[in-house]
Amino acid sequence: MTAVAEQAAERRELARGGGAGIATQMGVLTVHAVRTLLSDRRLLLITLIEPLPMLLVFGQALSGLAHVPGFPRGVPYIDYLVPALMVTTALQTGLQSATRLTDDLNGGLMSRLRTMPLWLGSVLVAQSATGLVRGLVRLVTLVGLAWLAFGFRCRGGPLALLLAVAVSMAVAWSLGWVFMALACWFRRGDTLQAAAGLAMFPLMFASNAFLPVTSLPSWLRVVAEVNPLTHGVAAVRALTLGRPALPAVTATLALTLLVTAVAAPVAVRRIRRTD
Amino acid sequence: MTEPAAGAAIETEALVQRFGAVTALDGVDLAVPHGTVLCLLGHNGAGKSTLVDILTTLARPASGTARVAGFDVVAEAHRVRRSIGVAGQFAALDERMTPRATLVLLTRLHGLGRRAAHARADELLDLFGLGEFAERPLRACSGGTRRRLDLAAGLTGRPEVVVLDEPTAGLDPVSRLTLWEVVRGLARDGAAVLLTTQDLAEADRLADVVAVLRRGRLVASGTPGELKARVGSRSVTVRPADAVQAEQALRADGITPAFDPARGTLTVAAASSRQVTDVLRALDAAGIDPGELSLSEPGLDEVYLALAAGHDTVRDVA
Repeated sequence: MTAVAEQAAERRELARGGGAGIATQMGVLTVHAVRTLLSDRRLLLITLIEPLPMLLVFGQALSGLAHVPGFPRGVPYIDYLVPALMVTTALQTGLQSATRLTDDLNGGLMSRLRTMPLWLGSVLVAQSATGLVRGLVRLVTLVGLAWLAFGFRCRGGPLALLLAVAVSMAVAWSLGWVFMALACWFRRGDTLQAAAGLAMFPLMFASNAFLPVTSLPSWLRVVAEVNPLTHGVAAVRALTLGRPALPAVTATLALTLLVTAVAAPVAVRRIRRTD
Repeated sequence: MTEPAAGAAIETEALVQRFGAVTALDGVDLAVPHGTVLCLLGHNGAGKSTLVDILTTLARPASGTARVAGFDVVAEAHRVRRSIGVAGQFAALDERMTPRATLVLLTRLHGLGRRAAHARADELLDLFGLGEFAERPLRACSGGTRRRLDLAAGLTGRPEVVVLDEPTAGLDPVSRLTLWEVVRGLARDGAAVLLTTQDLAEADRLADVVAVLRRGRLVASGTPGELKARVGSRSVTVRPADAVQAEQALRADGITPAFDPARGTLTVAAASSRQVTDVLRALDAAGIDPGELSLSEPGLDEVYLALAAGHDTVRDVA
């Protein structure tokens, strides 16, 4: 029996060292999630051709909007449209992080992770980081395609374009946490999609994304002005149109930080629960 | 913080779990020392998985306490998670990953470096005979392969307490034997193993202690021998062409068979293989062909029938 007790103590010592630090957990899980994302060839292909219909349909169907009152003079509609598409792409990227999270939450690996000595917030951080990788791929594709095939130009110069991508990524990151918090709440992918669908259209269209706020009916203008997406689009648009962008960019970044500071702790608290 | 006593790897006291109006566990007291395999027997819905969920920190009990490796499963859940290895009824794995990637990921999450994690993964792939499937995505692997990988995944952290929920359900006989060897090996190395099963033969083969769970209560516990003694013994059944003649021949030899006229079979209790030989020898001496011959072990059904007929909450061995 003493031998058994000694062996047990030895196992306990081995186990005690066990359990990676939180930084290692995040790193290992992020590498895993990114690798899983990149190994999905079909998803990558879709990601790459995704902006094409948006650019075509919105660019053609809405180009008449360049003549509505309040539209900036001398700006081709495509230059007006691309910043909006960058921010809505960020919105969709955030939602995709959450959809992948519901897959993970309902998948088998998660139930194993629950029995391991881990901080489950690492799973969320990994998903968020993967969302950023995906967001970057999508934004670069969108801008590249718009530039090469649709005549989009960034009037603010290359640095402004980089900043515009960075601001869009910040929006994607922060909305990712909001949707992940919802995912931890709803647990189910279809419920999440339904809830997101409900929010998505007002967010996209009751905003300055596709036409100037001043051209909206007055009640809708009120909605558009409090819509956080309006601020994001204003910031990105100011950058790419080469206009003074500092106030809008600062406001957007402050908003993303605020939203994340609320959503992330909710998500972390909810993910351990099984209900 | 004081070191927990090494004598009690799993301890539960008056453990109760409820789901709405249903009482899934109704006051379970259990103790599994280190170096011991405890087989928890019970039908679907008996409460086995509920108990497993509590011991593995996936669920909180309604009342009562459970300590694993000396730590409370509610108050010290994180320390419990450091000490346990789990393999479930449903393979807890990612379908898109290969067995090797799965094991490396989990081992790294247990804090091993890249190189050490690969070495540990190789060791486990080898132990469970998974080498040839190491690089195949799991969705292209057979059910048996998944189960074996799930078990291997449960051992990535070199756990002190191993909880296996029906680990051999759906495994082929060879994989089953491998698993049994691994389980015995774990106990030899000082780990405590709690294994749930519906299969009494498996419990017989593996367990130091068998506990029977029925409707959330432990209705019996003891060594396999003790339990079987309560249930009845092995029996041999023959189906000769002329059952009446065969019965007379056996009786003449001092053996009392049970005659089943509907099937034309004769059944004799045979606790030892010697008694099986005696039956065949008696028939042979009378020049009777036994026809079909079968041996039957007492099954879980018999355990239940016996326990249902007897007392409801007998605990022979603590």
